[in-house]
Amino acid sequence: MPSEPPAIGAAAARVHATLDGVFATVERVRDASARCLAGARATGREPVAGDLAALRPLLSAHLGALVSGTGFIAAPGMLADAAWYLEWWQTGPSGDPARFLPDLDPENSALYDYTGWEWFTGPAGGAERTVCGPYVDYFCSDGYVLTLSAPVRVGGVFAGVAAADVYARTFENAIVPALREIPAPAFVVNAPGRVMASNTASWTPGAAYRGGRGFETRPCGDLPLSVVTAGQSASARPRAKATSRSCWE
Amino acid sequence: MDSSRLVVFAPVDNTARVHAVVRRLSDAIALGLLADGEQLPSEADLAGHLGVSTVTLREALMALRQQGLIETRRGRGGGSFVRTPARPFDLDGRLRPLAAEELRDLGDHYAAIAGAAARLAAMRSLPGDVERLRRSLAELSAAGGGARTCRLDGRLHLEVAAASQSVRLTREEIRLQADIGPLIWTVHDHPRWRGRARREHAALVEAVGRGEDALARDLAESHVACAVEHLIERRLSL
Repeated sequence: MPSEPPAIGAAAARVHATLDGVFATVERVRDASARCLAGARATGREPVAGDLAALRPLLSAHLGALVSGTGFIAAPGMLADAAWYLEWWQTGPSGDPARFLPDLDPENSALYDYTGWEWFTGPAGGAERTVCGPYVDYFCSDGYVLTLSAPVRVGGVFAGVAAADVYARTFENAIVPALREIPAPAFVVNAPGRVMASNTASWTPGAAYRGGRGFETRPCGDLPLSVVTAGQSASARPRAKATSRSCWE
Repeated sequence: MDSSRLVVFAPVDNTARVHAVVRRLSDAIALGLLADGEQLPSEADLAGHLGVSTVTLREALMALRQQGLIETRRGRGGGSFVRTPARPFDLDGRLRPLAAEELRDLGDHYAAIAGAAARLAAMRSLPGDVERLRRSLAELSAAGGGARTCRLDGRLHLEVAAASQSVRLTREEIRLQADIGPLIWTVHDHPRWRGRARREHAALVEAVGRGEDALARDLAESHVACAVEHLIERRLSL
């Protein structure tokens, strides 16, 4: 059993450190959101959407090189005056923080129900740290993003989600230098198997990794992500059932 | 700059853009995608969403006001509000200005985008993506027709495009839905074709779920092509 090249551990550590920094933002938003909601309750009333306006300075302050959007997404029915609500800020086209104002009226939008997205179902199901994506986010950022999220609880009860977006390209730029140190084809996958960053054109970001012979996987600390390296016997590219031939063959 | 240059670089005529904005918003109102009494976003936001200047947007809103499709109120609590017309979506009125060749070309473009997106979705979908498509398919099957069906039909195709993992294809899908979606949904929602559209949606989701990329592409292309063929038949009968 040959020992693992140190570059693999280093790449896994790089992934962990990069996302840890984003989770630090998510956790600050989580705590501030919980304080907003609990503060309303402490005065003997149910929280309303306006209570979350207090988060705005914090949210704008956390947008930057790594985080392209951040905010609080209410559990449906949590707020007294809005069945569906997001207090979400993202870096606008001008580079300034811009508030995201979606149409959340079930009567006139097919996209109002945000509870189906993985960044919501993970925390709602009790996961303390969810990494969702990369995925095409047509709902909010109109980009290819990762969303990191955590549950917000008030009095021990799930009240919504704190989250932050990172563009897939930003993540890739942070991770690829470490992957290139690995002397074999290597890529990072999320829990379902989506390739997040890679040192080979055979496995591009967005490709589906479905396991297989000859691959070694190494977890990235306590995050639900792995660094996958391809040994000699591994298949050269994503498996498709069908007719697509690869280049040069 | 000499005079010929001045002509070449003169601002492009704005009327085509105004017309496109008017058409898009009036389609959405006629189909019920924008509800009666609903407040439109601010002019700046709306212009930003649609990718037009505020001047263009203002001209379009003026035209919509003249048609009685929106009402603008000033002051506190003011803004532009949707007024649903008494007449439903006028398919023939929408088809009349289009030549068969233009409809055919729109269909070609949409089929190319939808087909490519479906093929990549079949190659790249993971179980979670397929589950999302199945949920949307179930909602679409349960919808009783009308505006809600149109919205869900659009959403299902948007989710297939997003499952391709391509932001560009997804944006293009959204743009084409805005251009030709209302026409296609009118065909899909017609009692005569409803069953067929439903079977095609189910087959497409299944092909994506099984990873059959060539089949998924063929199904997505023919799904568009069949609807466009009906539209052209209808156009030629006017």
